[in-house]
Amino acid sequence: MSLLRKLGSGLRSLFRKEKVNRELDEELSSYFEMAAEAEIRRGMSPGEARRAVRLEHGHVDTTKELVRSAAWESFVEILWQDLRYSLRGLRKNLGFTAIAVLTLALGITANTTVLSWMSATLLNPIPGVAHTSDLVTIGRGDRSDFPTPPFSYPDLRDLSERTQTFSGLLGYHEDYMSLTGVAKPERIYGALTTANYFDVLGVQPILGRTFLPEEGIRHAGAAVIVIGYAVWQNHFAGDPQIVGKKIQINRHPYTVIGVAPRDFTGCKTGLRTDLWIPLSMDRDVWGSNRPDYRGIFWLNALGKLRAGVTKNQAEAELKLLMQGIVERFPEDHRDSPNEISLDPLWRSPFGINGYLYKIFPMLLELAAVLLLLACANVASLLLVRSVGRRREIAIRLATGASRKQIIRQFLIESLLLGLLGGTAAIVITVWTSRSLGAFFPPSTLPLTHDAHIDQRVLFVTIAVSIVAAITFGILPALRSSSLPVQSVLKEEATSVSLNLHKSRLLSGLVVAQISLSLVLLVCAGLFTRSLQKAQQSDPGFEASHVLLASYELSPAGYTRQTGAAFDRQVLDKLSALPGVESVTLADFSPLSFSIHTDYLQLEGYVPQPHESMEISRAVVGPNYFRTLRTSMLSGREFTEADTADSQLVAVVNQAFVDRYWPGENAIGKQVTDGPSRFTIVGVARNAKYRMLTYPSEPVIYLPIYQSYHSTQDTTIHLRTTGDPGTMASSVEETIHQLNPELPLFNVNPLSVTMQLGSLFARVAATFAGSFGLLAMLLAAVGIYGVVAYTTRQRVREIGIRMALGAEKRGIYRLVLGQGFRLTLVGLVVGTALAVAFTHLLKAQLFGVSETDAITFTSVGLLLAVVALVACHIPARRATRVDPMVALRYE
Amino acid sequence: MDKQSDIVQGTLDMLILKTLALEPMHGYGIAIRLEQMSKGVFRPNAGSLFLAIQRLQRDGLIDGEWKATENNRRAKYYVLTKKGRQRLNRETREWGRQAAAIARILEAS
Repeated sequence: MSLLRKLGSGLRSLFRKEKVNRELDEELSSYFEMAAEAEIRRGMSPGEARRAVRLEHGHVDTTKELVRSAAWESFVEILWQDLRYSLRGLRKNLGFTAIAVLTLALGITANTTVLSWMSATLLNPIPGVAHTSDLVTIGRGDRSDFPTPPFSYPDLRDLSERTQTFSGLLGYHEDYMSLTGVAKPERIYGALTTANYFDVLGVQPILGRTFLPEEGIRHAGAAVIVIGYAVWQNHFAGDPQIVGKKIQINRHPYTVIGVAPRDFTGCKTGLRTDLWIPLSMDRDVWGSNRPDYRGIFWLNALGKLRAGVTKNQAEAELKLLMQGIVERFPEDHRDSPNEISLDPLWRSPFGINGYLYKIFPMLLELAAVLLLLACANVASLLLVRSVGRRREIAIRLATGASRKQIIRQFLIESLLLGLLGGTAAIVITVWTSRSLGAFFPPSTLPLTHDAHIDQRVLFVTIAVSIVAAITFGILPALRSSSLPVQSVLKEEATSVSLNLHKSRLLSGLVVAQISLSLVLLVCAGLFTRSLQKAQQSDPGFEASHVLLASYELSPAGYTRQTGAAFDRQVLDKLSALPGVESVTLADFSPLSFSIHTDYLQLEGYVPQPHESMEISRAVVGPNYFRTLRTSMLSGREFTEADTADSQLVAVVNQAFVDRYWPGENAIGKQVTDGPSRFTIVGVARNAKYRMLTYPSEPVIYLPIYQSYHSTQDTTIHLRTTGDPGTMASSVEETIHQLNPELPLFNVNPLSVTMQLGSLFARVAATFAGSFGLLAMLLAAVGIYGVVAYTTRQRVREIGIRMALGAEKRGIYRLVLGQGFRLTLVGLVVGTALAVAFTHLLKAQLFGVSETDAITFTSVGLLLAVVALVACHIPARRATRVDPMVALRYE
Repeated sequence: MDKQSDIVQGTLDMLILKTLALEPMHGYGIAIRLEQMSKGVFRPNAGSLFLAIQRLQRDGLIDGEWKATENNRRAKYYVLTKKGRQRLNRETREWGRQAAAIARILEAS
C-alpha cells in the first residue's frame, strides 16, 4: 500500500536520517563530479569546469537541501491532506462522530482501567524495583490462599548458604511496630529482615546506607534501622541529617542508618512496609528470640535467580536441599509440609497478587470482549454512513482516485476516531484507575494500592486504539471502496440502496453485537449472583450490631500479666456501658484476613504423610460465642474462670470434629499446641473467618487468658442493642479512661470491616456488571441504528405497500420482525459463545453453576426485550409513513 | 528546465522511466541520456532530476543499488521495477492518445 510505503520511507528517513543523508551526499557529489569531468573532457580547466557545473545546477548543498526536504514534506503533505479531509468529514457529521468516539472510549476505558490495575500490581509487584523477573517468592506446602511464612531462620540460612541457583535469598518478617518517642506515636507496619534484604532487591537508600552483613543476626553494638520515605517525611520533616540520629521503636532506641527511596514500600505487593530492622533485633522489638529456633516458621523468603537459571531448576534444587535439612532435623519439621514451591511475583501467594492474578486477567478478557463489541458497533455505524457517501465515493473514483486512496482515506478516518476514543479513554481512566481504592473497606492491614496511568498503560492504550481502528475500519473501507461506479452514479437518489437482509455484513455486525453482549451479560449475571449468594450465605456468626475496635498492648509497655489485667478491665468497663448487650475480645476479626494459624498435634489422629497440621487458631475472650451469636453444639464456651491458673481448655468447631474425629465425641480430647496441652470443652457451629466463598474449615478456639499473645492486636467485639456506629465514641472514651496513651484503631462496625473478605468478588462483580450493562447499551444502540437506518431507506417501499393496502400492523411487524430475526440469531450464537466462555469463570463462582439456567434465561429475555424496544421505535415510525409523501420522497 | 519542470513534472518522470527501460543507470547517466535522446532539448537540473528519482523510488517504480561505475567510482544505479515498466507502458499509450487529441484540437482551430 502506497501509504505504508510512504510512511515507511518517511519514517526511515526520520530514523535513519544520517544514513539517508550520507547516501544522498555521496550520490549528488558524484553527480557533480561526473558533470565536471565531462566538461574537463571537453577541454575546460578543472576550476572552470566546477564553476560551469555550479552555474548550471546551483550549489551542491542547495540541491541536497532541496531534495531532502521534498522527500519529507511530500510525505507529510499527503498525510496532512488526508487528515484534513477526514477531520472535515467527521466535523460535518458530529452526531456520528460523538457516538463513535464515545462507544470506542467506553470499550477502551474498560481495558485501560483493568490494565492500570494490573500494571500497578501484577506487573509492578515491588514498587521501586524495576526488574523483578528474576525474583521468585518461596513457599512451602500446597499453595494456599492464606499462606503462612515458610521458614525458620536456621532453615533459611542453611538454604541460602548451600544454594547454587540463587545469587541471593532474603528473609523477612512483617508486623506492626510502634514508632514511639515522637509527638504522636504511630503504629507502623515494619519488617525484620536479613542483612542482605536491600542488596538482593537492588534497592539503594536515598540517604545513608542499608544493613551490613554483621548486623544481620548477631546483635553487637547499637540497634540500627532503615526508615521509609513516608516516615522520614511525616515524623522527621524530611530532616537531611536524620542518619545517625536515634529514634524509638516499641520504646527501644534505634540509630537511623538510612532512608529508603520514596517508591519502595517493602516487597509484598499491596501491603505497605515503612520500617526495616535486622532480624537480630527480634528480642528488642518483640521480646522473643525466634531466630534461634529451627522449628518456628516465621520468615517469608524471596530469591534472586542466577542468570540463566530457570525457576524449575531452582525449585528442584531447593527441594533437595530442604529434604536434607528435614532429614537432619526431623523433630523440628515433623508437623509441617516440607515441599518447596517457587512463584514469580505476579502470582506470589503472599500479598494481594495471590488473589488478583486470578481475577484481573479474567476481567481483561471481558474488557476485550467489550471492546470487540464496541468495534462491531462502530463498524456498523461506519457502514451505514458509508452507504450515504456512495455517491461521493463514486465521484472520487470516477475522477481518478485509486481504490487504495479511498481505503487509505477511510482508514485514516478510522484511525482518527480510534485515537480520539483512546484519548477520551485515557481521560476517563485517570479517574477509574483510582477507583480500585473504593473497594477497600477500613482494615487493620496496611493495604496499599496505587493504580494510575503509567507509561505502560499509555502505550497499550495507543496500541489498542490503533488496532481497534483497523478492526472496525477495515471492513467498511474495503466494502465502500469497491463500488460499481457506473451504476452508483446512474442510480438516482430515489432508488433503494440497501436492505438489511441484503447486507450480510451489516446483519453480521448486528448479530455479533447481540451475541457479544449476551456473553458479557451472562458473565455479569453469574458474578453478581455469585456475590449475592455469598453475601446471603450464613457465615455462622451475626455481623449486625457488632462494633470492633483494636489496640495493641506490648508496644505500650504491657507484659503478659499487666496486659491480661488490662483486658479484664476493658471487658468490665465496656459491658457496663448502656446499650451494650455483650462484649468480648479476640486476636482477629472475621473475614478480614486476620485469623492466625498454629501447628497442632491432636489426640488420636495420625496425620497422613505430608499432611499439614497447620490449623486456624482463634484466641478469644469469655463470651465470644454468645457475643458473635455462634451457637455451641455441645459443651460450653469460655468464661471468666478460664484463667492461666485453671485447666487449659479449648473449643473446636464442627468442621474440626468432622475432619479429625469423625463420629467421635470431641469433648475431653487433648490438643497439643507447642508446649501446651488443651482439653476440648466445647464444640461450636462452623463459622467462616476467611472468605464467605470458602468451605468451612477446622478452627480451634483458645481462651485469651490462657494463651496470651501480648504481641498481637486485641480486637474488642461489642454487641450493641442499637446502631453500633453510635457506640464508637463511648468505647474510645472508656479505653482512654483506662489508659490515655493507648491508641485505639480501626473502630468500625463488623459489617463494614468484613467487606474485605469479599473484596475480590466485589471487584469482579462490579466490573463484570458494568461491562454487561455497557454491552447491553451498545447492542441496543447498534440494533436501533441499523434498523432505523434501513427503515428510512425503505420509506418508498413502505409507502408503496401502504398505498396497495398494507395495514399498519403489517408494516410494524415487517420492520420489527426484521430486527428481531437478527436478535434471535444473535441470542443463539451468543448462548453458544457464553457456554464456551463461562467455564473459564468456574473457579471464581460461588453457589451458581457456570451454566446457571436462571442467569442464561433471564439475560436472554432481558436482551430480547431491549432489542424489541430498540426496534419498536423505528417500527412505530414506519407505520406513520404517509404513502403520498413517501412516494414523492426525493 | 526551471519553470517548465513544474508543468512537465509527470513528463520528466515518464522520461526517466523510459531511459531506465533500456538499461540500469546512475543519476548522471540519466541526465546525459535524456539530453542525448532529446537532442539537447531537455537538460534537467540536478535538483529536479533527483526529486523525480526520489518520487519514483518511493512509488516503487524504480529501485536503487550501489555499484561501481566504469571509472571505478561508486554510484547508485537505478533499475525499472515490474511496476515501473507497467506504468511506463500505460503512460506511453496515454501520452500518445493525449498528444494526438491535443494535436487535433490545435489543428482544428
